[in-house]
Amino acid sequence: MIRRLFGVLAALPLVAAAATPDFSGFWMLERKQIDPDPELAPHVAPNTAVLRDTGAAEFGLMEFGGLKLKPKTLEAAKNWNPKAEMSVSNACRIPSIVYALQGPFPIEIFQGSDILVMRMEYFDMARTFFFNKRFAMPPDAPHTKTGNSIAHWEGDQLVVVTTHLKSATITNNGLDHTDNVKVIERFRLANGGKRLIASQEFEDPEILDNRGVRYISWYKVEGDHVTAYDCDPGIAENYATQ
Amino acid sequence: MNHRHGAKGIVGRGLVGAALALAATAAVAHHSFAVFFDHEKQVSVHGTVSGFVFKNPHGVVVVDVVKPDGSKDTWKAETNSPSMMLRRGWTKDSIHVGDVVTVEGWPARDGALYMRIRELKGPDGKPIGKPADVATEMGQ
Repeated sequence: MIRRLFGVLAALPLVAAAATPDFSGFWMLERKQIDPDPELAPHVAPNTAVLRDTGAAEFGLMEFGGLKLKPKTLEAAKNWNPKAEMSVSNACRIPSIVYALQGPFPIEIFQGSDILVMRMEYFDMARTFFFNKRFAMPPDAPHTKTGNSIAHWEGDQLVVVTTHLKSATITNNGLDHTDNVKVIERFRLANGGKRLIASQEFEDPEILDNRGVRYISWYKVEGDHVTAYDCDPGIAENYATQ
Repeated sequence: MNHRHGAKGIVGRGLVGAALALAATAAVAHHSFAVFFDHEKQVSVHGTVSGFVFKNPHGVVVVDVVKPDGSKDTWKAETNSPSMMLRRGWTKDSIHVGDVVTVEGWPARDGALYMRIRELKGPDGKPIGKPADVATEMGQ
């Protein structure tokens, strides 16, 4: 009897460990649009527009997928000059994770018990998700394009809250989030671990009257890795000479 | 619309230009396929490579196309991100200056001699790497 009890106790940590999914590996973006995920969508706040520009698809001028821009933001978008984006100084400007996560590039995840590192091929960005709140940065800490991400598990879903993001584009057409944007992401595995699905929700009341969410999916590729993204602003000269 | 331009000249270039001008917006946003390129049109050029850069954010193939009157047009054809193109079989040595190539793609909305490559056939007439499609480029 005692031997059997020890056997059960010994198995418990394994059971607990198995309850936490392992997202580690190389994930290629599924470039097709996906519908709101039935397991992630219920967690998205009311008054949130679903942006259907995931992957290579992007919105045209003055198209924001249901986001309600404040008047000042709308005016800035109207005055946005796309050609300015193709200047040498802007051609390699790094977006924040708000735009970059859904960009048509793969990610690679290294998952530990205390942190999870997400390498993004797009602009060689690397995100760190801290499972310990002591790594939450104070309000006056520097803002970056990857921000400060604190994570926890809710069942089989990884929930990540990111702040301290530096202002950057949301939709690549003249709409930028502020330094005070807050991003809530949920990740889960699907198809027996062959797919990774995420919702990325953001709120930025300084510029928007509602919130936005993107649903993003990736498929697992064994043996591939994120490669370097050496951005050469010389591409701007090719546009300029046309 | 699908116009093919021969090595000896360009057929329908004016028509292409006019159509593109009509479809043009002021948009030439970096990285924005939907804004910058017209996925409902296709353009094809045949000519000689005079330059090839294979660097992020986009590779660029420069193709000189001789027109019927003997003058020359210089097209610039943009690849997807080279880090992605490597996975589709391209390398920085896929194309060389002097190669005679045929490039098909989606034209710039503003009428410039600029396109996003769907497929590029090398001197042997075979496609380099795996061609793109609208679904791939547009995320559909």
